[in-house]
Amino acid sequence: MELEIRNISVSLSNKEILKSINLTVENGEFISLLGASGCGKSTLLKTIAGIIKQREGSILLGGKVLDRLPPHKRRTVIVFQDFRLFPHMTLAENISFPLKMMGVNKSECRKRAIELLKKVKLEGYEDRFVDEISGGQKQRVALARALAADPVVLLLDEPFSSLDVNLRKDMRELVLDLQKEYKITTILVTHDQEEALAMSDRIAFMYNGEILQYDKPENIFNNPVNTIVADYFSEGTYISGEIRDRRFISDFFNISANKDNGRYKCLIRPAALKVSKANDSDFEVVAKVYQGDNYLLKINKKDSNLKLESILNEPLDIEEGDKVTIELDKDKLIFIPE
Amino acid sequence: MKDLSSNRLLKIFLYLALFAILAPMVIIIFWAFANQWPWPNLLPTSYSLRGVKEIFAPYGKVFPILTSSITLSLTVALLSAIIAIMTARAIVFYDFWGKGILDFISMAPNLVPSTVFAMGIHVVFIKMSLANTPLGVIIVHLIYTLPYTINIMRNLTESIGKDMEQQAYVLGASPWKSFLYISFPLLLPGIIASITMAYILSFSQYFVTLLIGGGKVMTFSMIMVPFIAKGDRTLGSAYALVFVISTLLVFTIINTIMKRFQKRKEKYNWN
Repeated sequence: MELEIRNISVSLSNKEILKSINLTVENGEFISLLGASGCGKSTLLKTIAGIIKQREGSILLGGKVLDRLPPHKRRTVIVFQDFRLFPHMTLAENISFPLKMMGVNKSECRKRAIELLKKVKLEGYEDRFVDEISGGQKQRVALARALAADPVVLLLDEPFSSLDVNLRKDMRELVLDLQKEYKITTILVTHDQEEALAMSDRIAFMYNGEILQYDKPENIFNNPVNTIVADYFSEGTYISGEIRDRRFISDFFNISANKDNGRYKCLIRPAALKVSKANDSDFEVVAKVYQGDNYLLKINKKDSNLKLESILNEPLDIEEGDKVTIELDKDKLIFIPE
Repeated sequence: MKDLSSNRLLKIFLYLALFAILAPMVIIIFWAFANQWPWPNLLPTSYSLRGVKEIFAPYGKVFPILTSSITLSLTVALLSAIIAIMTARAIVFYDFWGKGILDFISMAPNLVPSTVFAMGIHVVFIKMSLANTPLGVIIVHLIYTLPYTINIMRNLTESIGKDMEQQAYVLGASPWKSFLYISFPLLLPGIIASITMAYILSFSQYFVTLLIGGGKVMTFSMIMVPFIAKGDRTLGSAYALVFVISTLLVFTIINTIMKRFQKRKEKYNWN
């Protein structure tokens, strides 16, 4: 169902955590709330679920106002970072807990629990207890239990952050598969920009209790509204300048740019910079960092404090101390209005 | 090697503790059947069934008083545990005006000497016509047991936290069901400890019961203590034996009933 958040403000112990948040999530859409810790993303999730009360504003689900509905009647299910499986119950009992609350009879509960365990690839684990399974398995059970509650909106609160990197990828795929299969409107809270970019239909970037930008992953990555958003995805070097008649003019370079006139900051991310070896140049490689898939080159310009970074895909014979010429990839430059 | 030696130390300690509990028990058993046991004899010089006869005497009121005393203490124990669960939740989960004062007051009966405290309460209870009634005794026992039970429940409530209940809410459980199905089973070890603690405190209370009950509310301690105070070791020991056996029986029953709620956890308790 479509979820609409209207002007939500939340204060906790006299501190304003959320400031007039507006957000719309389409039916069946997968969105991410991205931001550093403390930006209010988890608070927003709990407010949607009704665990935290808003000071102002409304939450609408399929056009109906949820504000007066207690958490257990909202059908907005949270999967928490620490999974919160009930330690005194078997996995089957954990998964059928929401069914039991709906009044489903015992044998039907068990049948559904076994089905759901199969869906999360934990066949035959129904009579185990929580302390007998691994972190990744707990995550799967938590997911199955959330699905058993037949959620209208599924809320995932940093569900992958406590898992190993390898496991994380599998779990992301599983979550996406299940989300598509059940067509559940889903909100993922994460601080991992890669995760947000890879999984979501749209990303809402949060900062200091506000949503700075809400857009498709490609748009938010390529057209960040300000330097805070831009830096969160990939850092780079900012060059101040001005655009006049479709041309960006700065102290260091002039380049064509398809933007309106005005003062801009040009962000040069490592991927936008190509280098080649040269004997006579102002640019010098000061460091070469191996990153597994590629090398990161740190480049300084002589007689200025301009510092640039570039990605080197091939282990070319560029070493520390070498002089290089640089070339900018016009399409990968990002112009942010000042 | 270090493991083994620390293990041995632990064993020695356990045996010492066991001895400290069992040795007085053995002496009580001997005394209950002893007629004369002068120093320095290792065993009584003559035996008698005076103690047994007194307890089982047809004219005696030992068993009716024992039954009513157990009922009274069980009532106190259950009420104390229930109040403690609620107080602990209030103190741990909610912020309210006077929270610090409540926290302190719940400890107060332990800070003031019990005789002083009981005298004060006695005056108030007389005015409220609660003195000399079972209800008055139950209330005064509650005041004595609550500091212990509240502390037990508070620590456990703190360590369990609200997270699990929150998870239950969003999965569709009402607050009451969340407590019943999630928090209650997790609190059960503490509830058993609270009930046991409150029971033994209430069951062994003498002075306060005497004062508030005014001799009209009879508990087992009230018929036992005079014999001990008088120095009649045979009868004192016989009563003490009944005290210990009845208490152990009650504990076994409480444990069995409570453990039924968490039967399955026991089966897998190997971590």
